[in-house]
Amino acid sequence: MLEASQDPRIKLLTYAELEEVKGYVGNFEVKIRKKARLIDETRCTGCGLCIERCPTFTSSEWDLGLGQRKAVYKPFPQAIPNVPVIDSEVCGHFTTGLCSVCEKICPVGAVDWNQRDEVIEERFGALVVATGFELFDPSLYGEYGAGRIKDVITGLHFERMVNPSGPTGGHLVRPSDFTEPRRVVFIQCVGSRDAERGVPYCSGICCMYTAKQVILLKEHIPEAEAVVFYMDIRAPAKGYEEFIRRAQEEYGAIYIRGRVGRIYEEDGKLIVQGTDTLSGQALELEADLVVLATGVVAPQEGDRIGQLLALARDDYGFFTELHPKLAPVETMSSGIYLAGCCQGPKDIPASVAQGSAAAGKVMALFSKDELESDPQVAQVKDLRCIGCFKCRDVCPYGAIEEKETPWKKMVARVVETVCGGCGLCTATCPTGAIQLQNFTDNQLLGEVESLCLGWRRESAA
Amino acid sequence: MIDKLKEAVREHLEELELVIGYGEGYDPLHATPIFVRRPEEVDRLLWNPLCVYNLATYLYGLKGKKVGVVVKGCDSRSVLQLLNEGLISREEVFLFGLPCSGVLDLRKLAERVDVGRVEEVSWQEGKILVRTREKEETIPLEEVLQDRCLSCPYPTPLIYDVLLGDPLPPKGENEALLRQVKELEELTPPERLRYWKEELERCIRCYACRNACPLCVCQDWCAAEARDPHWISMRDGVKEKWMWQVLHALHLAGRCTGCGECERACPMGIPLLRIRMKINAELRELFDYEAGVKEGERPPLLTYQVSEPKIEEPKW
Amino acid sequence: MSGMEERERRIVGFLCNWCSYGGADTAGVARLQQPTDLRILRVPCSGRVNPLLVVKAFLEGADGVLVSGCHPGDCHYVEGNYYARRRLELLKRFLPFMGIEPGRFEYTWVSSSEGQRWQKVATEFVEEIHRLGPFAGWEDEG
Repeated sequence: MLEASQDPRIKLLTYAELEEVKGYVGNFEVKIRKKARLIDETRCTGCGLCIERCPTFTSSEWDLGLGQRKAVYKPFPQAIPNVPVIDSEVCGHFTTGLCSVCEKICPVGAVDWNQRDEVIEERFGALVVATGFELFDPSLYGEYGAGRIKDVITGLHFERMVNPSGPTGGHLVRPSDFTEPRRVVFIQCVGSRDAERGVPYCSGICCMYTAKQVILLKEHIPEAEAVVFYMDIRAPAKGYEEFIRRAQEEYGAIYIRGRVGRIYEEDGKLIVQGTDTLSGQALELEADLVVLATGVVAPQEGDRIGQLLALARDDYGFFTELHPKLAPVETMSSGIYLAGCCQGPKDIPASVAQGSAAAGKVMALFSKDELESDPQVAQVKDLRCIGCFKCRDVCPYGAIEEKETPWKKMVARVVETVCGGCGLCTATCPTGAIQLQNFTDNQLLGEVESLCLGWRRESAA
Repeated sequence: MIDKLKEAVREHLEELELVIGYGEGYDPLHATPIFVRRPEEVDRLLWNPLCVYNLATYLYGLKGKKVGVVVKGCDSRSVLQLLNEGLISREEVFLFGLPCSGVLDLRKLAERVDVGRVEEVSWQEGKILVRTREKEETIPLEEVLQDRCLSCPYPTPLIYDVLLGDPLPPKGENEALLRQVKELEELTPPERLRYWKEELERCIRCYACRNACPLCVCQDWCAAEARDPHWISMRDGVKEKWMWQVLHALHLAGRCTGCGECERACPMGIPLLRIRMKINAELRELFDYEAGVKEGERPPLLTYQVSEPKIEEPKW
Repeated sequence: MSGMEERERRIVGFLCNWCSYGGADTAGVARLQQPTDLRILRVPCSGRVNPLLVVKAFLEGADGVLVSGCHPGDCHYVEGNYYARRRLELLKRFLPFMGIEPGRFEYTWVSSSEGQRWQKVATEFVEEIHRLGPFAGWEDEG
């Protein structure tokens, strides 16, 4: 991210969101809302004095509630740009109207209480959507006690704890009493591969990160015992299977093939009830910490982005690629590309590969001055169009716009580069004004007629 | 109710370019749509079971003007459907809502009196009094109301700016019209085809059904009269007439509110409404959908669901 | 064509280019026997099929009409067949009311790899049309 922020050809807009997108490939008109961080980026040096002196604490989202942050904060130490943001919901200046510590202490006067959101309008030739993923909410599995039992955490909580800049300074401890766990149980497939209560698909990353977490655990606390409950181990890429083996053989993790039915607390310990399907036995284990490998889900923001860009999504909210095998980073909308988990669960190498692929597609697009496209597109006869726009409402590509004729009538207009050539518009249009070229109504009627004419001649003969 | 209507029209006439309502027709058995522009014209307005016309049919043509329109329950559904399709805008219509207990079917009345010689028509509680030169007849309204009114599900307008009467309870769920559909379904398909060929033989392709329909906004651009695309020729054959009616009904699928104006307007007395009611009944079953009843609802054939609970898998 | 065999019926099939047409092609490549009286018209998507095209085919003398597209969820154009499913289901329920016997119009989903399935669909549909006989509705209309 640092490289990207420093490259003069890249404009990085952080703390900003997409507001509106109009137009089409090569000519997207985009409005972006840059939200007010209440700190003047041009003056701030990133010294961090404001953060040091801020008297207001609140729960840290980045640390998933395991730690705290101030009202003025940087989400994480290496955040780009190196400028904090003020959370006006908890900041004393807004809640009590009394606090201005940061403003007073700032050596360059960068605090700006009157800063407003800024809406930037710009034109772009292509859009790449890489909006990532969120994690499955394990509290939906009440029997695991997530959200209720303090020492039942998710894989991401684990990551925050082992991170040296995290809430526990890099120490792996039980959130309830801050002691080091002696036995940690990892449960895979929490939310994934569960058509009834979770999502039916495999998230693809949990087997690998659980093995990594097992290794990290053993490196932090060599005496600790790691137990992993799994259904299958999915380790398809280069070096992956060998990595899992290392966790099992070198680091002594115990892998049990079975599911966990229930977790409860007793005398300060966690009791994990599960099965070992390979031996056919029911198990009951005592554990100090349970880590749930929660599945990958599409971000909630996806709904809004999907609508702004008219992108199709599957039943689980992941954006739909143009073709699952032959066009994984393109969408039905020419000029809009996908990369990473927003298209479907995948790990880092695959996400990076898709990022490069999307960039490649954009470069191929930009290398031309003109776009060649298939002539099998729809065309509107202005004189026959009544402007009902039923075609626009059904077009899967969003390829139809409004246009005013010289006689002041609003009619439909097809953006030829975006049109996919399906003909749904033609079948929908009540007057037959919009016709898919090469499959017009008259052409198909002609085919039907000549077919039947042939029959009539045959039967007459 | 008529006094309340006149009062309301007088009150709002200034902010509107015109108000479409019902006035006296060319004979005592007919009302007619009238366009009120000036206060002096307000007294021409009337309200009685002769007010059969669906005045929503004018709305699309008056786009760009702010108009007032008098609507019965059935008419308000047409307005709602036009709004749902984005064909008119809500700010441009002011709706004077009149709860309605039913309107007259002149064909039914013609079986009882000589409708060509009517001198006076008056109303009593639940009855119509018709005086011709020869005699005077008092007929219970229920016997001469349109079939669709007998089991009207929406006597009270579903959308209005002012409601000028007490809301009325539904008379039914269109049983009378659905019975017409069922009667035909008791025949075999070849018998049904014969029936339609007999009925549609009389069609003269005058397009009164199309012109009376509030949802038919294509009018001069109608696919039935076009050569590009050439769906139907101008040949005067029953095949073409059958095709025209099927085309019309399918183009209205999910849009038709069952107001029956098509059948009323048909000069040849062809039972057009039951063709549309069949489609409406199927859409009700398949998608739990009725046109012009819920604000913002999309016609079912212009949308889809990834899984359709009521549509069975193909048999293969 | 021998006069002793049963006459071929006039059957029109609207097949979507990406799935069903490919499926019929696959059947052909595998040398699977298909009835010759089903004549195929290629369309880009089942969503391109205006229900009126089916109606027109019957008016022009077809005894049966079949529409086949991609399985719902697999449409090459993502959504086309979802609309087709709704519109053609309605048509299927409406046509008998106007006098065309049930069974003469059917719609189905065949993917481009389902050669055998296409053979089954085509054979069984054509058999049904033979069983129903010629559509005599317009014989007297010229």
